[in-house]
Amino acid sequence: MKRSILILLCLLSLMSASACTDFVEPNQLAFVMGTAIDQGEDGLIEISEQIVVPSKLSGPFEGGSSGDAGSSVVMSATGRDIFEASEKIQKKMSRRLMTSHRILIAVSETFFNQNDGGKLFDKLGRDPANNLRDIMIVVKGGRAKDILMLPHPMENITSIAAGKELQINGLNKFSSRQLIVEHYTDGLRPLLPVLRMEKIKADDKESRPMAVLAGFAALNKQLRVKGVLEESESFAAVWMSGKETYQGLTIPWKDGHGMLSFRLVRLKRKIRTRSCGDSKCAELRVKAQAYLLENTTSLDMSQLRNMTEVEKYMNEQIQQSFQLTMDKVQRWGPDIFGIGEQFHRRYPYWWKSRRDNWDELFKTVDVTVKSRIQLVSIGSSGGPMK
Amino acid sequence: MKLSGYQLFWITSISSMIMFTYIPITLALNEARQDAWISILLGGAVMLAVNWLVLRVCIQNEDKSLVRMMKDLLGTVLGKIIVTAYFAHWFLQMSATVKDMVNFQNLVMLHNTPMPLILFCMLFLVLYAVYKGGLTVISRCAEVIGPIFLFTLFVQLFLNPQQMNLKRILPVYADSGWLNIGAGALSSFNYMMDPSIILMLFFFAESKRAASRAVLWGTAVSVAWGLLATLVLLAVTGPDMASKMVVPVYSLTKMVSILNFIQNIDAFFIPLWLLGAFIKLTTCLFILSYGLSEWSGYRNWRRIACALTVVWLAYIIYSARIVQFSYMFRSPWMTGVFFPMLYVGFPLLLWIVGSVRKRHQAAGYR
Repeated sequence: MKRSILILLCLLSLMSASACTDFVEPNQLAFVMGTAIDQGEDGLIEISEQIVVPSKLSGPFEGGSSGDAGSSVVMSATGRDIFEASEKIQKKMSRRLMTSHRILIAVSETFFNQNDGGKLFDKLGRDPANNLRDIMIVVKGGRAKDILMLPHPMENITSIAAGKELQINGLNKFSSRQLIVEHYTDGLRPLLPVLRMEKIKADDKESRPMAVLAGFAALNKQLRVKGVLEESESFAAVWMSGKETYQGLTIPWKDGHGMLSFRLVRLKRKIRTRSCGDSKCAELRVKAQAYLLENTTSLDMSQLRNMTEVEKYMNEQIQQSFQLTMDKVQRWGPDIFGIGEQFHRRYPYWWKSRRDNWDELFKTVDVTVKSRIQLVSIGSSGGPMK
Repeated sequence: MKLSGYQLFWITSISSMIMFTYIPITLALNEARQDAWISILLGGAVMLAVNWLVLRVCIQNEDKSLVRMMKDLLGTVLGKIIVTAYFAHWFLQMSATVKDMVNFQNLVMLHNTPMPLILFCMLFLVLYAVYKGGLTVISRCAEVIGPIFLFTLFVQLFLNPQQMNLKRILPVYADSGWLNIGAGALSSFNYMMDPSIILMLFFFAESKRAASRAVLWGTAVSVAWGLLATLVLLAVTGPDMASKMVVPVYSLTKMVSILNFIQNIDAFFIPLWLLGAFIKLTTCLFILSYGLSEWSGYRNWRRIACALTVVWLAYIIYSARIVQFSYMFRSPWMTGVFFPMLYVGFPLLLWIVGSVRKRHQAAGYR
């Protein structure tokens, strides 16, 4: 008797252990791949979720054409905060929104400039349904929502395309966790990838709009976009902020005849600080290994003399152009390189009185850029092939 | 019911790591920010010293449990009164742990499942284990769960290598100062381990020598893990984000992403944490009901355990509505007075009284 009651009790509690009350089958879930955040009307926030439509997705072996029509939908709603807006989206959906696998968060530039962007972070950090692994980007010249709606020639879903684009190009430190950390750190400002819509002719039909990476935005402490770096400058800025792992480089040779192209790997940077007068100075040193991949000059690269000369010249060129980028960012104010953080670590007491004013102070700090790139290989042929 | 040194090691290390996964790290981070690891280190050293003291008391009275110890050394009335503080402490600790567990499950996974239902399942399991076999079952379970628990908790700390930047713990000392580091150490050490459990469990240990070694090792291992977890957390998120986290180790597991493939490790962490919490809760329930049976003279501690579970369930359901209870662990009264009293104050008293009495007896014989 006693035993049978016990068994009954066990079985009963087993039933609740399966959590039937909260059970959601995978076919009741709506996987959110990307979220766009825009400025709505009347100071509201507009959230758009890009949701995969699994039945429309073609598998990898079915020869699915790029940009499958209808493989994702974008649903939007406005609200006073993120949660309210996404609840409104949820109300219109037949499936439960699931954000744990999100890849991209696109925020329009206008949103950052008109709102306190920091208030986005609370939702990201507080709600366990966020993974903080998603990439955060800024959308320039247009609404972030439109970017999500664009078809992509290679991938089914734009969010995946944008995520892959950054990853394949060695840009790997742009997760929302990274952004939150940067936002909270006193001596470091966020640098975010910028997407822009561009008309691209991808086939013989008419050209279509596509979302492409168009530089990087430097944000200040209040998360206002202080400036957007152009393509060539952003290469320098991303490297100097330590967020890139490899990159290509093309420089014209001294005499103006011909070009040298390298693949740069193991990109590193190091900041050194020292006292100079009653202020502090910093030296930012970039390091990399270079592989020569194209040579249209008349140099015979099998000659040791030429190799050292190319290496020296490359360093000079890099140093010069990087210094220009550095000066430009310094004029804007946001310290995307973390030089303030280096001061904080090295001279904590000096830093204490200056940390609240760093955006202004950074403009006046003397930062020199040094380049130490090593030419490790000249490729698989010695002299120029003609 | 006998306890081997090996089993005691697992019981102490699991039950202290369960607490370590959230409260001490958060407390230390709030006070000392990037120097939280120093706080944890200092707190761990304090905890080991406290353990040493507690073990001295235990060895002095190796044939008695805490209740008898108190009665013999401080007199029946005073001893019984002081011991109730320990009972209250165990009860509150059990309630707090199980409430945190249920709240967490409701927050993360079971959004709609009624809280009493989850609670009931856990308490039923805990009571069943205690009722069926008491300490034997607990120690066997700990032996099985322990290695998996410890291994996974250690390994998951290292799954974030690309995101770690150890420079985030710099500058050392300058930003916080000794005052904050000390405050962090003194408030967090209370939750690193519960020495009062030892006062009760040591009585059951087979070999007292092996048991004392096991307790110290168990504490050391969990402090080492806590130190490592704090360092990793700081390296991954930096002090500002870390100090805002309520359940830091869980948040850390959520950030794991290896080759964009191994993600959402929290699916392993939560069940393991539950298994660990099970050990902690059964241990607490056992010592509480055993202690109460010694205290009251009512021999059947199993029945006491049953009655206690009913009270426990009722208390949690009742107190769940009162938000203040959830933040009690932060109150300076608890961390500054109540815990130090239980962990250091009373054991010290017992030790002094015990030593004096021993000397008296020795003198008497002469």
